[in-house]
Amino acid sequence: MSDGSQTAAAAGTLLATSRRRRPSLARAARAGVPYALIAPVAAVIGAVLGYPVYWLVRLSTEQYGLFELIQHKGIPVGLRNFRSVLHDQVFWHTLLRTVVFTAVNVALTMVLGMAIALLLARVRTPVRVLLSSGLVLVWSMPVVVAVQVWYWMTNFENGVLNYALTKLHVGNYMQHDWYASTTSQLAMVTSLIVWGALPFVVITLYAGLAQVPGDLLEAAEVDGARSWMIFRDITLPILRPIILILTSLSIIWDFGVFTQPYLLIGQSRIGPANYLMSVYLFEEGYFKSDFGRGAAISILMLAIVAVLSVVYVRRMVRIGEATA
Amino acid sequence: MKRRIILALCLVAAVSAAVATTTSGATRKASAASITVWLQVDAQNSWPDLVAAANQQFQSAHPGVKVNVQYQNWGDHLQKFDAALAGGGGPDVIEMGNTEMTKYMAAGAFADLSSAKSTFDNSANWLKGLAASARYGGKTYGVPYYAGSRVITYRTDLFSKAGIKKLPTSTAQYVADAKRLFAHNKKKGFSPLYIAGTDWYFAMGFVFDYGGGIATQVSGKWKGLLASKQSIAGLTAYKNFWNAVSRASKTTDEAHPNPYDVYAQGLAASIEGPSWFTCCVGKKYASLTKQFVMPGHVAGQALPGFLGGSDLAVPVTSQNKALATDWIRDFTSTQIEKGLQAKGNIPNATNLLGNSVNERAASRSWFVPTAKHWVDVENGNILRNMLAQILTGKLSVKQAAQSASDNIASVLNQP
Repeated sequence: MSDGSQTAAAAGTLLATSRRRRPSLARAARAGVPYALIAPVAAVIGAVLGYPVYWLVRLSTEQYGLFELIQHKGIPVGLRNFRSVLHDQVFWHTLLRTVVFTAVNVALTMVLGMAIALLLARVRTPVRVLLSSGLVLVWSMPVVVAVQVWYWMTNFENGVLNYALTKLHVGNYMQHDWYASTTSQLAMVTSLIVWGALPFVVITLYAGLAQVPGDLLEAAEVDGARSWMIFRDITLPILRPIILILTSLSIIWDFGVFTQPYLLIGQSRIGPANYLMSVYLFEEGYFKSDFGRGAAISILMLAIVAVLSVVYVRRMVRIGEATA
Repeated sequence: MKRRIILALCLVAAVSAAVATTTSGATRKASAASITVWLQVDAQNSWPDLVAAANQQFQSAHPGVKVNVQYQNWGDHLQKFDAALAGGGGPDVIEMGNTEMTKYMAAGAFADLSSAKSTFDNSANWLKGLAASARYGGKTYGVPYYAGSRVITYRTDLFSKAGIKKLPTSTAQYVADAKRLFAHNKKKGFSPLYIAGTDWYFAMGFVFDYGGGIATQVSGKWKGLLASKQSIAGLTAYKNFWNAVSRASKTTDEAHPNPYDVYAQGLAASIEGPSWFTCCVGKKYASLTKQFVMPGHVAGQALPGFLGGSDLAVPVTSQNKALATDWIRDFTSTQIEKGLQAKGNIPNATNLLGNSVNERAASRSWFVPTAKHWVDVENGNILRNMLAQILTGKLSVKQAAQSASDNIASVLNQP
């Protein structure tokens, strides 16, 4: 009996402790579920992003040219690649050129994008449909095809741009070479990039404009506010989060742009005088088969983009916290 | 739970089976049911029949082995080749421009073909310039494929309409003829001789015609020669000649647009380039088209022409080196080389040379410095940028030449 009561008592304490433990276990399990759920995603991101980044960093500390490529083995050189890039005059000129280029492109994209979005909100439905389908068509055009069309339009021998400008009596543009100087080359590239970037910006801003309460605008109008004031004091503050996101995305895209400048200016015209960052990276890394140095340049580019967009990302996070 | 484990095991088994089949597929491929050959588009455009003939010859000796010919572009074939070297799966035979060979031979990218050299047709008489471009450190890494010089392709009707009875025998006479051609052709954008502004293959001919050069090796170090008196005289002559005869863009290269397209549109009385340019002058002008050798500044002498050419090499990564070598042997046989000659190319050996305009033009020729880093000078557009600066007047001839010369020396002297 005593044995039986002992076991019963033991069972009782066991039950009690397990009963006491169960809620905390359940809580722990429940707390673990989100982590378990994001684990696959984290693993995939780690694999597809972490692994290449690891190799990029490793490559940037190695001498890795054609010889090493064939041997499949680099020679560790520490920070020599970084030192060599940072001592390269061409790097600093290219960086300055790219920052100015990015600023001009982002500013043009945002200002024109806002103007067209405001226009979209004002026009009648048929015009709006026409305008937005035009924008979607621009969006659906592959970049390489767009470059080819741009190249034909600005062609030296028989481009339509020269023809139109001459016929419109703007001046004699027959056989005008739009790729004769760096400024002109980059201006052509800018026109192509801004043209291609507008649809996304316009459509996103237009969607944002729908969020601006109509009665607020009406009230302002009744109070005698001018349209510029309404835009500055009501529309703009409401759109601010969207504008911040679009601006930071545009900075990242335009700073690293490669296809448009490389193909439109053309390989045979590319030189240190018109390098943009990613073109410089391509020329140094691939054309000169110096892959270690190329890796160092791309890491520096990554750092620069991070610095350039940190202001925007921080503000975005703050807005997110405020609304949460 | 058990069911789930079984399911998971099945999944793993299925995946590993799939992986196993792909790897066994890869190994089977390596043991050669086919070889992959990278040729340039020139072969596809102008002599696909010769490629087919060589393949047939090869397959009669190697029944069941497929030849997979993939056509490449000059502009990006090296980037593709680099990627293939890094990742595997590249070609078993690759066509390389003669200016591209040195860098890759120095890096050990090609198999040593020295011991097989005597088995190739006419290998004792290979063209010196081409054979030299395929040799590094005393070993042979490539087989000369063909060479090409550059000639003038012209419209006989426009020349006779302008009253030009005798073809120009000096640059000065060409300039005088250009004036007449201009007088008879008022169309906007018309060029008596269409030359792309940054066509350095043509422009350097002037440099060599005046006794200048690009770079030379002095006691193991490269020294730029473009700023020498003779080179500057040549570049100045190029600038004056270009302004007198061409209305092309000052900053464009010789492939944008293709000179024969300008010609086919009726916008050029003559063009300069490889002799196969006759291929594409358009139906309208085909019967009115002839060729002559570009004259130099001394009457009766040819302008030194760039001797371009191609070699065929076997990458070290190839799993089928013996088959690849056999294919090259079939594709550079006397019969195929004669076929190439009939298409207007220069065959790979001196004993096959004839007396075509192309072969006469090759009598005075020049070649790029055979330096490991020369291809970086080409890819870096140092010469093209210099020419654009000179023609647009952004820099004086002297300034542009000096900066290009320094640049070239520093690139060639890299370790």
